[in-house]
Amino acid sequence: MLVGTVVGNVWSTVKDPSLQGLRLLVIQPFTTGKESAEAIVAADTLGAGVGERVLVVFGRAARHCIGKGHDIGFQTAVSAIIDRMELADGRTIGPVANEDI
Amino acid sequence: MFLGRVIGEVWATRKVSDLEGHRLLVVEALDTGSGPPAPMVTPVVAADPLGAGVGEEVIVAFGKAARVACGGDGDFALEAAVVGIVDGHQLNAGESA
Repeated sequence: MLVGTVVGNVWSTVKDPSLQGLRLLVIQPFTTGKESAEAIVAADTLGAGVGERVLVVFGRAARHCIGKGHDIGFQTAVSAIIDRMELADGRTIGPVANEDI
Repeated sequence: MFLGRVIGEVWATRKVSDLEGHRLLVVEALDTGSGPPAPMVTPVVAADPLGAGVGEEVIVAFGKAARVACGGDGDFALEAAVVGIVDGHQLNAGESA
């Protein structure tokens, strides 16, 4: 699982039939240093919006979150919309990217 | 599985019901190499059934092992969990913590 910021949406018409109706978000993983990580695409059933911080799960846990059974062609999903993340270095990460304390 | 250090905690209100009651920790992999420090990258968020504190070293498991550690099984919205709090470790001669 990892924390990331929703940076966009993806639409796709030609896709595996098992992905019909899934809302797909582009998520930039949170990193502790200056380096940025590769963006990921995750299915969202909670209604997260662009700019919100979310928890992303992978694999079987993600398919369980999506709720369409385990025979679907997807492996990442949003499992929570984050209120707050406190780090040992004193930083507090807010729910939205531009509201960090 | 990996050896990491707890660097923070996460709270969420809007979440899938499976995550209710689970403490979520932010864990960064320990750099066990003797060379230059590894670049800081994406920390893992892991459920914590054991009560680890910020700053402690922990063992994190993934997949079904993590779900079992949290009292779930296949259909559970977790795939990373703290399965051990490390008392001490020895990496090579003379370097221990």
